[in-house]
Amino acid sequence: MFDFDATLPLMAVQFILLVVILNAIFFKPLTAVIEDRANLIRSSQTGAKEGLEQINAITQQYEKELAESRRQYQSVIAKAQADAQKLASDQVAAAQAEAVAQREQATQELSAQKVSAMAELEKQVDGLSQEILNKLLVGV
Amino acid sequence: MLNFLDSPNFVSLAALEVGQHFYWHIGSLKVHGQVFLATWFVMAVLIIVSLLATRNIQRIPTGMQNLMEYALDFVRELTRNQIGEKEYRPWVPFIGTLFLFIFVCNWSGALIPWKLIHLPEGELAAPTNDINTTVALSLLVSIAYFYAGFKKKGLGYFAKYVQPTPVLLPIAVLEDFTKPLSLSFRLFGNILADELVVGVLVLLVPLFVPLPVMLLGLFTSAIQALVFATLAGAYIHEALEGHGDEHDEEHA
Repeated sequence: MFDFDATLPLMAVQFILLVVILNAIFFKPLTAVIEDRANLIRSSQTGAKEGLEQINAITQQYEKELAESRRQYQSVIAKAQADAQKLASDQVAAAQAEAVAQREQATQELSAQKVSAMAELEKQVDGLSQEILNKLLVGV
Repeated sequence: MLNFLDSPNFVSLAALEVGQHFYWHIGSLKVHGQVFLATWFVMAVLIIVSLLATRNIQRIPTGMQNLMEYALDFVRELTRNQIGEKEYRPWVPFIGTLFLFIFVCNWSGALIPWKLIHLPEGELAAPTNDINTTVALSLLVSIAYFYAGFKKKGLGYFAKYVQPTPVLLPIAVLEDFTKPLSLSFRLFGNILADELVVGVLVLLVPLFVPLPVMLLGLFTSAIQALVFATLAGAYIHEALEGHGDEHDEEHA
């Protein structure tokens, strides 16, 4: 069982030969492939991470802008509403005032015409009564 | 009724041969031919699978490339865990090959019916059940961690022998001998014992009963490959760090 002979050094030489051969046809090419792949994965991972960070930054900025514009348009709407309200109430007040003034004027004109008509009627009453009197007296 | 053991069928199905080798003579040297045949088979498997995996490399792996990338990831993780992020890269081929070679050797011994191929003498089995193989591998690990230490620190590497206190110098020196010894005998003993247990059980109860032991053998084989590679990494790490503390060696 324990007979050492020339098998021992020859096996050692063979094994070294095997190491050299496998290094050339197995370890070197496959290690290169594995490390290439690891590098590719690492670089694409960092690329993806950077892209994700960019997207996050853009999203945040977008949200900020969105909030800003929302505030702006709300204030614009509120201002416009206030303006419109003011305008409307102004116009209503002006129209009411005008209506009141017109009515007053109309009333005044009416009373003035009434007065003048009454005066004219009174004047005519004098003339007519004189005529009536003349006709009556002529007839007599 | 117990004479079925004598029937030629079962004997040829499960005979135990330990310490018999298929000797080749190269000049005045003797080598174990069956170990070399099995080793060449294992190396061929590893090389063919590697070629298949890297023949058409894709960014998105499929099929064989996927499998071998999984294996590579596994040994890379193992080496990095042992040696550390900074220095592990140059050691991945050595420790990775250790793991893959031992793993395929062990599993080939457990899964491939070597018995069907008859040798004039001895039998084909996992190369790791020959002490020469395991000693060769563990001596390479020793050389590797000495090389790592000297390359990193030059002659200052010897400082680690007297680092905490010179009193421990004998133990520190002894460690350099126990490391390859424990590495090689652990692997050799586990694999040989596993094959013997399976062989004995098959001899006694030929059908189905040995299956759980065979499964256990597969598990042990994988664990032994992992332990060998992990300890090799730990020793190299120790030589690189040189703080001389004990990693636990007492696995399985």
